[in-house]
Amino acid sequence: MYAQDDMQDAKVSLSFSEDTDTKTITATVTDQNGLAAEEVELSFFVKRTFSLLKIGDGFNETDEDGVVEVAFPSDLPGDAEGNVTIIVKILDNDLYNDLSVETIKKWGVPTIINDDKDERSLWAAAANAPITLIISVTGMIFVIWFIILYIIFSFYKISKIKPLNL
Amino acid sequence: MENKNSKIDSRRKFLKNISSGGILAVAGLGLYSASSCKEKSEEKTTLLTTDGKLVQVSNSEIIKMEGMEHHPATPKEAREGIPGQKFVMVVDLAKCKNAKKCVESCDKHHNLTPDRPYIKVLEMKDNEKSAPYWMPKKCFHCDNPPCVKVCPVGATFKRTDGLVLIDNERCIGCRFCMAACPYSARVFNWGAPPNVDENLAYSPETSLPNKIGTVSKCDFCPDMLRKGKLPHCVPACPNGVIYFGNELDDTVTNGEETVRLSTLLKEKAGYRFMEELGTKPRVYYLPPVDRLFPFESDTKENVKS
Amino acid sequence: MRKIDIKQQKFETPREKDLLRHLISTSLKYKLWIGLLIAINLVGMYAYYRQVRFGLIVTAMRDYTSWGIYISNFVFFVAISLVGSLFSSILKLNNNVWAKPLIRVSEIIAVSAIICAAVIIIIDMGRPDRFFYVITHFRIQSPIIWDVIIISTYLVISFLLLFISILPDIAVCRDRLTEIPNWKKRFYRITAINWSNHPKQAERLNKVSKIMGIAVLPVAFAIHTVTSWLFATTWRPGWNSTNLGPYFVSGAFMAGAAAIIFAMYIIRKELKLHAYITEDHFDKMGRLLVLLSLIYLYFNINEYLGPAFKMVGIEGDQLSELFTGQYAIMYWFVQIGGLILPLILLMFKVMRKPFPIFLISLSVVLGAWFKRYLIVIPSLQHTYVPIQQVDESYLHYIPTWEEWAITISSFASLLLLITILIKLFPVIPIKSEEHDSETIVEPNIK
Repeated sequence: MYAQDDMQDAKVSLSFSEDTDTKTITATVTDQNGLAAEEVELSFFVKRTFSLLKIGDGFNETDEDGVVEVAFPSDLPGDAEGNVTIIVKILDNDLYNDLSVETIKKWGVPTIINDDKDERSLWAAAANAPITLIISVTGMIFVIWFIILYIIFSFYKISKIKPLNL
Repeated sequence: MENKNSKIDSRRKFLKNISSGGILAVAGLGLYSASSCKEKSEEKTTLLTTDGKLVQVSNSEIIKMEGMEHHPATPKEAREGIPGQKFVMVVDLAKCKNAKKCVESCDKHHNLTPDRPYIKVLEMKDNEKSAPYWMPKKCFHCDNPPCVKVCPVGATFKRTDGLVLIDNERCIGCRFCMAACPYSARVFNWGAPPNVDENLAYSPETSLPNKIGTVSKCDFCPDMLRKGKLPHCVPACPNGVIYFGNELDDTVTNGEETVRLSTLLKEKAGYRFMEELGTKPRVYYLPPVDRLFPFESDTKENVKS
Repeated sequence: MRKIDIKQQKFETPREKDLLRHLISTSLKYKLWIGLLIAINLVGMYAYYRQVRFGLIVTAMRDYTSWGIYISNFVFFVAISLVGSLFSSILKLNNNVWAKPLIRVSEIIAVSAIICAAVIIIIDMGRPDRFFYVITHFRIQSPIIWDVIIISTYLVISFLLLFISILPDIAVCRDRLTEIPNWKKRFYRITAINWSNHPKQAERLNKVSKIMGIAVLPVAFAIHTVTSWLFATTWRPGWNSTNLGPYFVSGAFMAGAAAIIFAMYIIRKELKLHAYITEDHFDKMGRLLVLLSLIYLYFNINEYLGPAFKMVGIEGDQLSELFTGQYAIMYWFVQIGGLILPLILLMFKVMRKPFPIFLISLSVVLGAWFKRYLIVIPSLQHTYVPIQQVDESYLHYIPTWEEWAITISSFASLLLLITILIKLFPVIPIKSEEHDSETIVEPNIK
């Protein structure tokens, strides 16, 4: 009903600051004229495998300077190098259109993937059986089949013995 | 004169190309429509053929070419896990009302009959004085899997992304894995499975088509996981009971809520079923405390909710 | 075609005549017996055809009771096959001379039982067309693969032991029997591998016999222990027990001894070998059976007392079903009729006479078969997670006619193999007895 014409496009700029034990994201919202936008609610997310994880407090509203600060959790895992994708969104705002800004920062804890594909265990693939198991089973098979083959060989020798002259 | 003739020739050639191209395009569209399409929607899309004609084609006759349509992984490819992931599931027993929508969705996508679902919603009662609760149980994809240890031919295997899958082109039907699983997670195709699509190439990641004389179980829908989507049961639950995610990025989601895994398990005292068996399941349960609704054992009523 | 006249057959000694007579004459009774066994096998084959065509759904096995009488039958056959090692190894090495005539019967039973066990396990598979995958894709971590290895090894060893026992007598058959078809003559000539009683051959054979006699014992213990590990490596009440290996092995020796007594009686009666299988043999076997039953009773008590004292969870549920519930009748028949009563009765000499001991050992063998049923099926029905909202057919296991037909046909195959082997070779050694002064040879015709 209301004209959508007065929906503006806001702009969000992000800055990141880090000191010894805290990481902070500072977002500054300006309207299309470059003026600070007050009381704009921003949603801060970190991109995860299936969805976006919300960080920050319940309501992240910009103050009179259009600035809002959000603490970034220090123990959040990132990829192998510690990169995380941070997304800041304006959603369902009365004055401004929906907006989404993405950046990649090396603020995550690097995830060291221990690809234990070749580790030997009882539940691994056939090629990765525990060494002791392979050695003991193969050893026992060798011993007993050596005996069996010796027996068969003995029968062969028996068959080769010529009968005594009657 | 020559120029005019050549112009006519070239125009003829051009028209010929266009029309043959157009015929081919329409023929191609016709052929695609002849191939089986499960859902015939009435929606139509307007298309421009190569000879400049606008045609209305129903959506069921158009092949979607969004990105690259991956074929489901072959048995050989399925042995490799999805890199960088270690999947984990959390089931919030405080919210489960036995709606069984997870079971319905799973049965539909794995072509199962209702008598042998992968997901079983059990009525549990820990002791005489505690309240009963519903516990959805599927395969736990254990990190120390008793079923994988006993398979004589390696038909069931554990992947680097945490999933335990079954290759039904190798299964010999000895059912040792069924005897070994303490959680009774596996079902067996005793008879010929119904509604088998013969044309479908077998993939351990979809567990389709079902094969007679082989074993089967919940597979965490790896075909969906490869596309970055959640397994079918997760969004199907109307009560947001099932959370799924990647342990390596410490996040689980139930389709609506995304939470940090470590926080969830610490705050809500997440536990694993029969931890003392030492199988290291990858499914955690949140205890049924602070429930907002009473337990109803009549399942028919619960399905409506 | 040369005409065969049985009356023309000449034997050198009455002993030879008694032991070789049945190789050449085929009575009507024998033909009827073979006919009956083949008929049973045909019914079994039809039942198996139905199973291959429609899948394992023709059996009563379902998702909870996923192993049924095929597996319990398999365990029973493996158990019976241990009797070969009992005679060829334990009794022989202990210089139990009275047992010598029975070595061959025990090896015949052992070889036939292990072949039938292997066949039954293939019948139980959901995809028998992929059976060779256990060779091409084997995983050495799996107890089933250990079982495949040890069963094939034991089969070869038992066959060799049978051959060792029979070899001198094949030579006798080759030399003595004239009134037999030509193919049989050729068969004896080839299998006798030029045996001519040369001292060097006898020396080699003795050496080989001693080696095999020692080597078979660890293999025999291993085969039934590995079979017990198919159960002991899982989380099931009644299976998750450290006692399962000795329990199975001791039960196997007892069941095997009873099976030998059963076979002895029938062979003695049908082949009229009263002079060679004497009452004294039955008496000694009876005493051996008492000893083996005592050992088995000891492991039985150990198996049940610990869990019964605690009656914990599903272990308790399963035990109460055995003691007082659905399986109580079967359980007490097995324990009393198959173990305790025979044990007590056989302590009396009068019960160790041929006919009574034959009946008692029949009861022991039946008890052994149902004991394996009680080992396999009740444990599968008591799971850690409750069984809910399932079809009625999942809650009870009552084997279908196809399963019974195939099981009975496996017994018919066992008897068929044993009968054929007895028909081809003398069942009691001819040669070796002549040089043994300690053997009981007095004609003891009763």
